[in-house]
Amino acid sequence: MQMAKRTSAYIIVLTAGVLLLFLLNLSYGSVLISWDRVLDALFGRIADSPDAIIINSYRLPQAVTATFVGMALGLSGLLLQTLFNNPLAGPSVLGISSGASFGVALVVLSGSLSGIDFILSGFAFGNILVVVAALIGALAVLLLIIFVSSKIANIVVVLIIGIMIGYAINAMVGVLQFFSRSLELQAYVLWGLGSFSKTTLTQSVGLAISVSVLVILGCLFQNSLNVFLMGKNYARSMGINTKILQLKILVIAGLLVSLATAFTGPIAFLGLSIPHIARNLFNSSNHRILLPAVVVLGAFIALLCNFISKLPGYDTSLPINAVTSMIGAPIVIWAIVKRAKIKQ
Amino acid sequence: MSRILQIHDLKTAYFVGKKNQGILHHIKNAYVEKGEFVSVLGLNGSGKTTLIRSILGMQKIVSGQIAFNDIDSENLNINEISKLVSVALTDKIDDAFLKVSELVSLGRFPHGGAMGRLNDNDIHKIKEAIEIMKLRSFENRVFSQLSDGEKQRVLIARAIAQDTPLIILDEPAAFIDSPGKLGIMRMLRKLTYNKSKSVLLTTHDIESALRFSDKIWLLSPDGKFISGEPNDMVGSGLINEYFDKDGIVFNRESLSFEIESGANN
Repeated sequence: MQMAKRTSAYIIVLTAGVLLLFLLNLSYGSVLISWDRVLDALFGRIADSPDAIIINSYRLPQAVTATFVGMALGLSGLLLQTLFNNPLAGPSVLGISSGASFGVALVVLSGSLSGIDFILSGFAFGNILVVVAALIGALAVLLLIIFVSSKIANIVVVLIIGIMIGYAINAMVGVLQFFSRSLELQAYVLWGLGSFSKTTLTQSVGLAISVSVLVILGCLFQNSLNVFLMGKNYARSMGINTKILQLKILVIAGLLVSLATAFTGPIAFLGLSIPHIARNLFNSSNHRILLPAVVVLGAFIALLCNFISKLPGYDTSLPINAVTSMIGAPIVIWAIVKRAKIKQ
Repeated sequence: MSRILQIHDLKTAYFVGKKNQGILHHIKNAYVEKGEFVSVLGLNGSGKTTLIRSILGMQKIVSGQIAFNDIDSENLNINEISKLVSVALTDKIDDAFLKVSELVSLGRFPHGGAMGRLNDNDIHKIKEAIEIMKLRSFENRVFSQLSDGEKQRVLIARAIAQDTPLIILDEPAAFIDSPGKLGIMRMLRKLTYNKSKSVLLTTHDIESALRFSDKIWLLSPDGKFISGEPNDMVGSGLINEYFDKDGIVFNRESLSFEIESGANN
């Protein structure tokens, strides 16, 4: 009972933190906007002022994207770590983000080869094209992984094949880069740095809705995932069709990674580190606790990273991947050392 | 007597891919009755674990029928089987946070499903399992930090909480000191007396198997299968035939292995 109380207390505090960080993300940037102006802008009371445009066209989609990409990556990381029974599993291991990169590389860099200039043919068009290309690339790899896992029962083999697919795709991207002009190359590299600020308001709302649906779907598996902690044979002995469960979890996690990467580019370390933070903070591997925990923590940490990336206060912000890696890498090291100590 | 497990004409084998590596055992007829305690004995490599895994459908069989409660396992889905058979395996459980009480409560999964919360009956069964295996004092401890003997008791408690008529255990006494081994065997024996559960286990501990079991299944490396009561096995010299080795002989009076006199150098 006491544990349940502490769990809900943490969740409430974190949720409050998410709201606070969300507002901070709206008010802070190259121009500081006071909180009452932020609220005025959100509720349309100062429709045409520059502040309202900054908030509604730039900072709001960015904050919404950070929130839901954080949720998506945190949840997919947890699902994949439980599925593969491996603390190092994360969104990048299945080659899905490489698939997204390949889609983007194909669109952006093929400008060099075909002569069509995607970069200069208008921001909005180029932007949605990049999102669609990333999504198609990611989903193609996801389908490939699902095909592999339907043929091969051993999930560790699936994991290794996923990593290898990632390498192979990155090599193809390398070849494309080799034949590209510097302008396109720069655009591609910029995409690869990752950013929460590539989305329009409509896109960020679409992202929010689809991530929410997948989060609800993921939470349906809370007890099955707990049983999965004991391994495949036990799961089977308790009536779980492990092959079908693996497939369902792969689809949910894969869709989350695909969506997140399509809208923001690859974001490092969030998916890997958030489940570790959740386990250590809540001192539990129970998915009834962890599933809500990674969702809230994911939003919290993504918003925190986005806020930190704006702190230098210049016109442009720090690359988000630099921030997430600097925060994420030490956390993963800490969690894995702690895990090793517990086991001794 | 109803037969919770009935094996008919079962041929088991190791499989590499889809190819079997030759028949390991051919069991024409074997069964476990309600409340019966059955131990599978055999030397290393005689295929005890293969037999268990074949019965549980965790690996392919060459041919034959396995029936639970007189229903052919072909006609049962894995959810139905999970309400008839629970297991304690040697698989390593690799989680740094899972608590004893949480692990035991996983046994209720087949009765609740993917979203269900534990109801009063579930909580009662979990408490009962924890009582039976004497785990009250470390309910809140982390599973991975327990000793091997304690871990084994937790795994058995989980199987008890699953509340199935048959419990199958692979090497429940491995890596455990002698008092711990006897303790576990006695707890399982009590389960068959007090709760009419059936127990089928594999073990290397021939002495305690003979002491606690109603029936012994003997597996030989050359594929023979013999089922019989412990007394008959000892009396007919089968135990000597199978396990005496290099001057270590089974004494039929004391029911223990001894160093043959004159061979102790």
